[in-house]
Amino acid sequence: MHILIVEDDQIARDVLAKALTEVGHTVDVAVNGLEGLQLASSAAVDLAIVDRMLPKLDGLALVQSLRATGRKTPVLILSALGEVDDRITGLRAGGDDYLTKPYHMSELLARIDALARRGDNGSAEANTKLKLADLELDRMSRRVMRNGKKIELTAREFQLLEFMMRHSGQVVTRTMLLEGVWDYHFDPQTNVIDVHISRLRQAIDKDFDKPLLHTVRGAGYSLREDE
Amino acid sequence: MEQEQRFLGVLGSSPFRIAVVYSVVFALGVVALLGAVYFAVSQVVDSSTDNLIEAEVQGLREQELVLSRSDFIELIEQRSQDQDVRGAVYLVVDPQLRPVAGNVPAWPKSAANEGKWIQFKVSVPFGDETRVHEMRAENFPVYAGYRMLVGHDVQERQDVKSLMMRGLIAAVVLTMLLGLGGGFWMGRRILAQAGAISAVATQIMRGDLSQRLPVRDAEDELNSLAREINSMLDKIEQLTLGMRTVLDSAAHDLRTPLNRLQATAEAAMTQLAPASNERRVLERVTSEVDHMRSTLDALLRIALAETGTVAREAVDLSELVASMVELYAPVTEERGIRLESSVIAGAEVQGSRQLLAQALANLLDNAIKFTPKGGHIRVLLRLHGACPEVVVEDDGPGIPAEKREIVLGRRVRLDEARKFPGSGLGLSLVAAVTKLHGARLVLDDARPGLRVALKF
Repeated sequence: MHILIVEDDQIARDVLAKALTEVGHTVDVAVNGLEGLQLASSAAVDLAIVDRMLPKLDGLALVQSLRATGRKTPVLILSALGEVDDRITGLRAGGDDYLTKPYHMSELLARIDALARRGDNGSAEANTKLKLADLELDRMSRRVMRNGKKIELTAREFQLLEFMMRHSGQVVTRTMLLEGVWDYHFDPQTNVIDVHISRLRQAIDKDFDKPLLHTVRGAGYSLREDE
Repeated sequence: MEQEQRFLGVLGSSPFRIAVVYSVVFALGVVALLGAVYFAVSQVVDSSTDNLIEAEVQGLREQELVLSRSDFIELIEQRSQDQDVRGAVYLVVDPQLRPVAGNVPAWPKSAANEGKWIQFKVSVPFGDETRVHEMRAENFPVYAGYRMLVGHDVQERQDVKSLMMRGLIAAVVLTMLLGLGGGFWMGRRILAQAGAISAVATQIMRGDLSQRLPVRDAEDELNSLAREINSMLDKIEQLTLGMRTVLDSAAHDLRTPLNRLQATAEAAMTQLAPASNERRVLERVTSEVDHMRSTLDALLRIALAETGTVAREAVDLSELVASMVELYAPVTEERGIRLESSVIAGAEVQGSRQLLAQALANLLDNAIKFTPKGGHIRVLLRLHGACPEVVVEDDGPGIPAEKREIVLGRRVRLDEARKFPGSGLGLSLVAAVTKLHGARLVLDDARPGLRVALKF
């Protein structure tokens, strides 16, 4: 994937570029907003990571200008600001996701993955049936079946599984789950998400040979068919 | 309905009340003034007719001495017919009170036993019709057993008096109406201005500091007051925005190096073998960065909540509390704590959903931290009067009464709590968020345990 990094902080930019290259992405870098906008406007860019505060052209203005030209390139905004409101303004300006510094590389990579696949999964979004291996989820009838056996889930477990299935094969972090399923943006001091996941795991994996819900150490969870 | 409320609102306004008091005072003044005039005028009119009658009576008494009875009757007859003396009335009656002479058809019944002066009504011709006129007369005996009346038509006098009385009443009513009307008008004007002020104040309280009071093109107290409040608001906006800018740059200046630290450490870690010493050191570094980040996040959120500049929206408090309970239910169950909840539907507040969620999460995190296995946590959303109240109760060690005030201060951790993890900012954040929402934070003894109530 061709990723553009618009970041004025050299250390952050270099580390990020290196990490993205290592996982197999092609990386372009821009050190200020104007340069960033020029590069982002080129057709080659699949995804842009834009710092919120940039010299010459502010990160938000960059995203707004990009959207004004009709480009739908997914944009992840990185911010070193106070948050709460800034996240809303960032998303309103046209950003697709928002991450506050300092972040874990695993969090950023997971979010980039999710953003990049959002384009492909556009059809899955409209699909009423999600399927992974022998696990099936019907959004219309709100039924979950595994290997032909009906699985009883609470409303929240259903939502959680739906989210995981829409991101199947990807790493989903705890914050992504809290945001995506509960619409909350804070870090609970208690391992609330882990317990929800372990309940879901009980429900969908316990009576079956092949586990589908995996823990990714130091990052989060992943719903996938293990090779 | 709204019209009616606006109307009732004006009636309750202070200018209207003042106007009511003043119109009553003015009306009393009008009564006193016009009453005095009425009294004086009646006095003058009454005494002038009475003098006239007295003089006539005097004259007739002298005539009585020199004239025989029949001549006297002749004289009265003449005078009665005299058209020049308009309004004069005469009547002579015999001992059986039968009229003998004069222009009054019959001896008035009221004159029988009354004193010297009597007043009675007589029909008099007036053009083609007859009218009942009020007469005032002196009655006195003439010759032996005869009586006579000498009087004057006082209808005109009565008319003047009643005209004056009507004028007086009209003046009083008019004064009252003008006073009340003026008061109503002023009340509406002031109420409209006060309404504008409170509407703007509400919006400012909601965090929109760009709002200003409307200033009209006039030089009155309300306008200069509005101007002064506006310049005060300018100052507050400047200060708050300044604070926001300071916060943002502080956030930026702290997050940027933390981010570099995190990025560098993580990058270095990927080069190292999993269980190596160097890697363990770097893991310590990143976990410290995490800790600093969560402290920084909490501090920034507290500061942000305290500037009051957070954007507000309608927050479904019922949904929020229910979903937080649902979020924390599994974790409490896993720890052997019973989480009970009772949440009423339809509670709504203006504010920040994320900050309220954070505050509630902090309370629940705290409750879980301090509640032993087998303990209870109760979460309630109820109405206290018309205002929602969120209560989180645990049966942990609680906080001693004398320390409850202190824990709300920034970064206070009681000695008893040192063995538990946490930044010590949890309750401070709850306090700041509560204040931002115009609510009250009350810490109480749950016997045993701690009861925290957010009273909106």
